[in-house]
Amino acid sequence: MNYTKILFSAALIFNIYIIEAQSIVIKNAMIFDGINDNAFTGNILIEDGVIKKVSKSSIQGDTIIDAEGKIVTPGFIVSNTDIGIVEIGALSVTKDDQSSIYSIGFSIHDAFNPNSTRIPWNRSNGITSAITLPRDTSSPIGGLGSFFTLNGSLQIDSLPDMVMIGRIGGSSSSSRSEMLALTDDILSFASSLDVRDMKSNADINQIINDSPLADYLELQSRDVKALFRLIDDKLPLIIKANRATDILKLLEMKKKYNLNLIIMGAQEASLVAKQISSSNTPLIINPINNIPSSFDELASNINLSSRLEAEGIKLIFSSGGGQNSHLVRQGAGIAVANGMSYGGAIRALTSNVADSFNIARRGLIKPGNIADLVIWEADPLEPSSMPEKVFINGVDMDLTTRSTRLRDRYIKNLDKPNTYRD
Amino acid sequence: MKNYKKLKITTLFIILLSFINISSAANSTPFESTYEPMPQTNTLFRGANIYDGEGNEFLDTDLLIKDGKIIAIGKDLPASSEFTVVDAAGKWITPGIIDIHSHMGVYSAPGVTTSSDGNESTSPVTADVWAEHSIWVQDPQFALALKGGITSFHVLPGSANLIGGRGVTAKNVQRNTINSMKFPNAPHSLKMACGENPKRVYGNKSQAPSTRMGNIAGYRKSWIKAEAYLSRLDEYESKSEEAKELSYKPTRDLELETLAGVLRGEILIQNHCYRAEEMAMMIDIANEFDYKITAFHHAVEAYKVADLLAENNICAAMWADWGGFKHEAYDMVQANVAIVDQAKNGTGCAIVHSDDEIGIQHLNQEASKALSAGLRAGFKITKARAMKWITSNPAKAAGIFDQTGSLKVGKNADVVLWSKNPFSVYALAEKVYIDGAIAFDKEAGIEPSSDFDIGILNPNKNRIQE
Repeated sequence: MNYTKILFSAALIFNIYIIEAQSIVIKNAMIFDGINDNAFTGNILIEDGVIKKVSKSSIQGDTIIDAEGKIVTPGFIVSNTDIGIVEIGALSVTKDDQSSIYSIGFSIHDAFNPNSTRIPWNRSNGITSAITLPRDTSSPIGGLGSFFTLNGSLQIDSLPDMVMIGRIGGSSSSSRSEMLALTDDILSFASSLDVRDMKSNADINQIINDSPLADYLELQSRDVKALFRLIDDKLPLIIKANRATDILKLLEMKKKYNLNLIIMGAQEASLVAKQISSSNTPLIINPINNIPSSFDELASNINLSSRLEAEGIKLIFSSGGGQNSHLVRQGAGIAVANGMSYGGAIRALTSNVADSFNIARRGLIKPGNIADLVIWEADPLEPSSMPEKVFINGVDMDLTTRSTRLRDRYIKNLDKPNTYRD
Repeated sequence: MKNYKKLKITTLFIILLSFINISSAANSTPFESTYEPMPQTNTLFRGANIYDGEGNEFLDTDLLIKDGKIIAIGKDLPASSEFTVVDAAGKWITPGIIDIHSHMGVYSAPGVTTSSDGNESTSPVTADVWAEHSIWVQDPQFALALKGGITSFHVLPGSANLIGGRGVTAKNVQRNTINSMKFPNAPHSLKMACGENPKRVYGNKSQAPSTRMGNIAGYRKSWIKAEAYLSRLDEYESKSEEAKELSYKPTRDLELETLAGVLRGEILIQNHCYRAEEMAMMIDIANEFDYKITAFHHAVEAYKVADLLAENNICAAMWADWGGFKHEAYDMVQANVAIVDQAKNGTGCAIVHSDDEIGIQHLNQEASKALSAGLRAGFKITKARAMKWITSNPAKAAGIFDQTGSLKVGKNADVVLWSKNPFSVYALAEKVYIDGAIAFDKEAGIEPSSDFDIGILNPNKNRIQE
């Protein structure tokens, strides 16, 4: 028994070693590379976790996977999710998405759980990486999200604190005008920060003491450091906003503070599409959401994606988050059904995300990029079709999920008592 | 002589009584459906591919609707001048899609507190409330669902309460009163809820129930009261007319009237219940008090008790792939719908629902996902059979299958014409007919706007007008 176990573990280790050391060729694939509108039939060489070669002529390799007639895409990246920091939404003890002490500088990075059941679940649906965001903080700007690959490894593969979030909109407590003013004040404070004054925490405490705003917001040193990075590193800033007027105000602030702005929600973007387009601001939208859920979202329309695409706006697709993050590809399919281009929909799940968030070497199938790839049994935008193979960092991932295990428990070996079932 | 006199008095009595009955009938049945169909278009659909909603597929087949009814389905049906001909070659026709679990109108859009009318969460048993009395008929979500092919939907109260109140079935037509939307002769339902929600809502208020065992005690106490009420009612109603005159009619009680309606089989139980063991317990309670559960809703763990549900002739309304958002939804499997469908040699009653204002617009895609999970699990299920999950099965669970839910001659002409096979994400509903009347026509630009949509963003336009 023990002997078998040892052998098995050794085989496991050995296997991983083999997969990483050996080359894999995916041949005869219909490749949507994440940028071009049309697919081309070709072969992909994966070595050491990296796409080494993409070619129409045949390639030699240790393992050959024939993807004849099947679509291969970059792994999809979800960009508005709580994967890894929330296990069960309605069970607060399994949630690590908020802080009662930190606001602007609150990072969720260290909470990420690679063993979350949400990871294999989304992965088996073709999602290979995620930009995981905290919940809204007390500040209209604040909270840091991180990029994670969904390979489930305890050696977490991530880009920590690579995005800040914020929000503008109607609320039951105070005017949006107050929120906009406070946002402007925070950005003004952030712009005034100078690295030469921030050599130590004592320096930062001095800055906080000198600023009535920082004092009022009870900022901590990590909040101030995050604000400094926002301006100095041009950290991507996702602001949730829907009403047309709010979107315009954000575009003004983007210009004023030279922000790397990404607007999320943007349900009324079609009313100000020209302005968004000329400011080169990417949008994160849920293409399936046509509900006027609030008085900020009256222009909600199922045609939103195709209208914005027509204006040349860079789009990123998201969905309801968490366990439903993978439904983003159904949303992308619905966007295509309602007039968006197929290539545009694929870009909104891949290269547009990588581009907008400065995620290097992902979101595109091209030599030198990290091998995050999916071989689909059929059209990836048909929610009825599923991945046949998912590669993350060049590794052929197991697609078993807790759901498939539970399913098998109730359809196989039914003659056995529960106790004796897998 | 004596007999004659008695007869005369009796006759008088009857005349008098019938007068009372007539006048009381006018007062005693409030909220009846006043639905009338819109102007009907007699139509011949030529050369369509058809899923009839009862498990059959007909390729390149004609469908004829007249005076609001389906009158023929077959090859090369004769055309005549009284029919508008719709070229349906290469397109697909299904019955109108039916949603068994909607909160449209009771949780309207925009989702503001002033329109949040789905849960009377002030007491764990509110069998006296009716969802239809909360419905805002100008909810813009109705029209969005219509464009997804929804012709009838069942609106339920929320799940905060053990017994949450009556549900109602409506036709998806733009009207300015709820009675004129109500599906004629459709039974009411009664919403019950298992598990986390009632115990959380009332536990947080430090009142019963705060545990699952408290939930079970709560249902049973209510049914005991209902049994007593019903027996008083039965006793009164079994009396002769003379005897009735000499006794008191039991005082009306709105809560117990609803529960007694369930015990009499007139009101259908729609039971929110996620976990397998809770569904089994609810079946025990139904047996204890001799009522029937029509459907379990959400039923994330239905696959664990699929045979039990089939044996008891209970439907399960399920998501295609939602789960994990709460502990009792953690054991979601994508093959849930298929496993329920295939239980006991395919006698299970599976329904695909969404419980969502966006999902309701794409129930065809939800069925498609559920089907593909079923095929992946190794079941042999046709698309034609899977179409039952969003047509005939929800119609049965709403008690309206005699009128709609499948394309059978004599039934209501609730029909959707799809641009492509409706199991594809790219399929859009092009025309939707309710009782043979055009409710939505993409090409002709016919689509309802609610009053809410009128002039709200631009005084000269409707909300989502191009």
